[in-house]
Order: sequence, then structure tokens, then C-alpha cells
Amino acid sequence: MALRDVKPTRSELINLKRKIKLSERGYNILKMKRDGLILEFFKVLGEAKNSRGDLMEKYEHASEMIALLNTLEGTINIKAAAFSVKATPTIDLKSKNIMGVVVPEIEAASVRKGITDRGYGLIGTSPALDETATAYEELVESVIRSAEIETTMKKLLDEIESTKRRVNALEFKVIPELSEARDFIKMRLDEMEREELFRLKKIKARTSV
Amino acid sequence: MEIAVIGSSEFIVGFRLAGVQKIYAAEDDEKLRKHISTVLEDEEVGILVMESKDLNRIPPRLLSTLENSIRPTVIAIGAQEGGMSLRERIKRSVGVDLWK
Repeated sequence: MALRDVKPTRSELINLKRKIKLSERGYNILKMKRDGLILEFFKVLGEAKNSRGDLMEKYEHASEMIALLNTLEGTINIKAAAFSVKATPTIDLKSKNIMGVVVPEIEAASVRKGITDRGYGLIGTSPALDETATAYEELVESVIRSAEIETTMKKLLDEIESTKRRVNALEFKVIPELSEARDFIKMRLDEMEREELFRLKKIKARTSV
Repeated sequence: MEIAVIGSSEFIVGFRLAGVQKIYAAEDDEKLRKHISTVLEDEEVGILVMESKDLNRIPPRLLSTLENSIRPTVIAIGAQEGGMSLRERIKRSVGVDLWK
């Protein structure tokens, strides 16, 4: 709002004062929200680092196992065993609310299976295959956990960014402009009052002569 | 909800062994792109697992879509720079590099 658009009237002044009060209240609340979000973010950050490290470890282990299995059994046999696995790991999505940010809560169901539930024949395959399958099941579990945490992080970060923008806009743009306009109107009104007074005195001096 | 895996055939076979049904073999860039868009449109997929070295092969626009996508959540696993994009985002939003 540029200064020249401001009409120096009393009603405008009252309006402006009301607006400033509202903006300040909003600013305080948003600032608190930002701080709360950052606190929440710090809580998740530690977990995220752990889950990342865990994921990497599991992945390395699993790829080692599959490489070993490749040499032992050959690609075709692994594929044959893999295609007979029927049970699918399913995930359950629920949502949780952190300071107005809806984050998912992912729950894994039936990732780990017993040896007999896997679907391939036990006699025709080697124990290495079982171990590889277990390694990958662990990896999938870890992926699911990471997915939850990383989604939470992403959402929190987005929210932090927009809240920060809003707080800064209010602090450095909206509130200063409004108070500038208020000061301008006040000054202008005072000036008009003085003019009026002076005029009255002038008239009085002329009539009393 | 289910899990989807996109990657080279050695990468995905292990996930098949763990029971993941939606596995897509991506031998070349063209297929990679096609599979990614299929997965992004699939309502049933909750998590997309990819190889981090594949991320270098897809166009930047698609990459940023993947990074910002929440449903499905994209998880890249592999040798290095796993949490890179998340790290960038933290830097941008919080202003400090907290990922150490």
C-alpha cells in the first residue's frame, strides 16, 4: 500500500489501527507455530538419520547376499524361486496431525514370512536363498520405516518454509507499511487541526477589529 | 497400499523374493521414465523404491516431481548421496545444514 493511496480521514485511521492489531496478533501466533514446527522437526531429524544409516546397512547386506546367491544358484533359479513367492507385503496408511500438518503413519503388515510361507520348494533350493529372502524382508521393513519418517520430514519442511515466509512478510512488509500509513494519517490530521485553529484565530482577529 | 520397485533386473529380483509384486525392470532411460510415470499414476502404490544411481538418469523435471512427491513416497537406496535431496531441502527451509 503506497502512501499516496491513503486517505487522511479519521475512519481510515481507526481501520488501520484495527488492522495493525490484527496483524500483530497473527504475527505472534505464526511465530509460535514456526518455533513449534522447528522443535518437532528436530525430533524427527534424529530418527531420520538413524533410519537412513540402518537402511544403507540393510541394503548392503541384502545386495551382498543376492550376489552370493547369484554365483551359487544362477539367475534363472533365483527368478524361478522369486516368482513363486505369493505373499505381498502390504502397508497401512494412517494419518497423524502435528501442529496442523497431516503426516502419514505407515504400518507394515506381513513383511516377514516363515520359511514355509514363502512359496518355493524347500528341497530344491539352498539355505542361502532363505537367508537372502530374509535379508530382503528386513530391507523392505526398513524401507517402510524410512518412508514414514522421510514423508514426515518433507511435509514438516514445507510447512516450516511457508510459515517462515508468512512470518517474515508480516514482520518486514505488512506491519511496517501499515504503521507508516498510520503515522502519516496522524500527522496529516494534526496538521489539519492546526490549520483550522489558525484560521479561526485569523477570523476572530478580523471580526474583533 | 503396496510397494513398487523400479531398477535394474539384479536390483529388483531381491525385492520380488521378499514378496513385492509391483516390480519394474528398467534397462534403458526410456523405460525408466515410462515406469516412473506408471507408478506415479498408480493409486495403490504407497512407497516407490529406486536405485540412487538411476536418479541421475532421469530428467530434472521428473526428478523434482519425485523428490516432492508424498504419495507415493520415493526412497532411493544405493551407494552414495542417499539423503542428498532431503539435505538440500533442510538447508533451504531451516537455513542451516543440519544433516551431518
